[in-house]
Amino acid sequence: MSAPMIEATEIRMVFGEVKALDGVSLHVPEGEVLALLGHNGAGKTTLINILATLLPPTSGTARVAGFDVVSQAREVRRHIGITGQFVAVDRELSGTDNLVLIARLLGAGRREAKARAEELLEVFELTHTAGRPARTYSGGMRRRLDLASSLVGHPDVIFLDEPTTGLDPTGRLGLWEIVERLVKDGTAVLLTTQYLDEADRLADSVTVLSGGKIVAAGTASELKAGVGQHTVHVTLTDQAHTAAAVASLERAGLLPVADEESDKVSVAVEASTDLARVVRALDDAGATAAEIAFTQPTLDDVYLSLAAGRVS
Amino acid sequence: MTTVPVWRGSSAFTQFTVLTGRALRTVVSSWQVTVLGLLQPVFMLLVISEVFGSMANPAYFPQGVRYIDYLMPGILITTGIGPAVSAGVGLIKDLENGVMARFRSLPIGMYWVLFGRGVADLARAAVQILVMLLGAVALLGFSPPGGVRGMAFALLIALFVTWSLAWTFIALGAFTRSAEVMQAVGFLAVFPLTFASSAFVPLDVLPGWLQAVATVNPLSHAVNASRHLTLSTAGGAEVPVALLASLVLAVLAQFVAMAGIRRKPLTA
Repeated sequence: MSAPMIEATEIRMVFGEVKALDGVSLHVPEGEVLALLGHNGAGKTTLINILATLLPPTSGTARVAGFDVVSQAREVRRHIGITGQFVAVDRELSGTDNLVLIARLLGAGRREAKARAEELLEVFELTHTAGRPARTYSGGMRRRLDLASSLVGHPDVIFLDEPTTGLDPTGRLGLWEIVERLVKDGTAVLLTTQYLDEADRLADSVTVLSGGKIVAAGTASELKAGVGQHTVHVTLTDQAHTAAAVASLERAGLLPVADEESDKVSVAVEASTDLARVVRALDDAGATAAEIAFTQPTLDDVYLSLAAGRVS
Repeated sequence: MTTVPVWRGSSAFTQFTVLTGRALRTVVSSWQVTVLGLLQPVFMLLVISEVFGSMANPAYFPQGVRYIDYLMPGILITTGIGPAVSAGVGLIKDLENGVMARFRSLPIGMYWVLFGRGVADLARAAVQILVMLLGAVALLGFSPPGGVRGMAFALLIALFVTWSLAWTFIALGAFTRSAEVMQAVGFLAVFPLTFASSAFVPLDVLPGWLQAVATVNPLSHAVNASRHLTLSTAGGAEVPVALLASLVLAVLAQFVAMAGIRRKPLTA
């Protein structure tokens, strides 16, 4: 097994009264993707900032590419690329100049820098606007330029903080393909996302953060095994039937999750054929549904399953 | 598998040239701003020379010196304030756009980012002052006894002052990280500094307390030095005083600026 490119041990981060991170440990080997799954405020961005040397942790240690993120920050910076949640490109400079600037700062010669910029502009389909200032770009184009900026130096470790937020479906797909190509070349990737399907598609392992703590960790399939391949969301006509519906669903061998105070029940299922079982169980309980939706499981379903103790 | 080049960092000289070039480019990226920036000091000169010149009592001024000749060396020094403020504004823009966080994630010295910012706005000031000087010579018949040599030295003093003020505003920007706060503080500092000085009127005409303030105002020393060089008036001792004051301010402000950058993490 190869040495871990990212290794965080017991990272704690306190901002005043707020515990943003409360003892987070994780490791990512070379050529693997770890997805940090969590809602806003879970601590994802804080962790990325710490690992990318931008923020010293309150306590705990982290090594990236073999170097300590606090005492050897400059070394770490030679090996990483980071794309933050907010686009960080020089809006007055053209696409080409943005990338050349970074390449030159990393130590590339003038001609090498130009060549690398052209290469990346092509990969990110920005060649046609390469000479225009970034302020004239659309949001999606700027996002792509930002991502390209973080890849200029062929980094060994890449941090992507919600990289697909604000991208259209095609852009999302394009980004996924780029991440997959990077990983094939041996890059270690740590990405944060709010989308379970993104984690499922890209990540070798998934870590679920909530309130600054790791609440679940494993492979995407392990996580999904608890959550189910699909989720049936049922909204009952009468909240009084919730308890009976849950009991009936459980008798039918299904895994329902519901809040007693709510008229909504979620059921993790493996296939669309299970939908009939859900409807029959509801019928047995004398509960009628106002709405039934058959969906991919979401982050919320993971949290609900965690609360129900089915994923660990 | 293709071999990829390994870039692991650049020399301080490369960082300096690349970052200065980048800041210079943002300075000239908008021709509207560039043209307006060039016009501004010329306007200042025209307005102040007309407003104050109309009531200037020749008795207060050195013998045989027209008000425009008296005013020019002062405006020469104060023109750099505008570009100095924009150095701070530029830094804050970089902070807000996340560009500073991007730089922070690279293996470079943040000092060179700030230094490049300062140099770019120093260049802006140099061009502005030069255009104004040429304008004054061509349009207003500014032809001081100090000659071209005197004007050149006065220009150098003006750039020294600009350099120290640019660092001051970079320091203010690094600490406040807010364009509004920085500009408010800047205005509060700059307005009295400019007017409570010998830039526009001789100190003798000011009331006693203001005279006391204006005498210790470092800007007065720079203006006196500039006047000495261009008009061949007395006050040769003001030149080293002005240079020293600028140097001390520039060095201090650099330390404060770096402390300001370190004080609060630049996060993505």
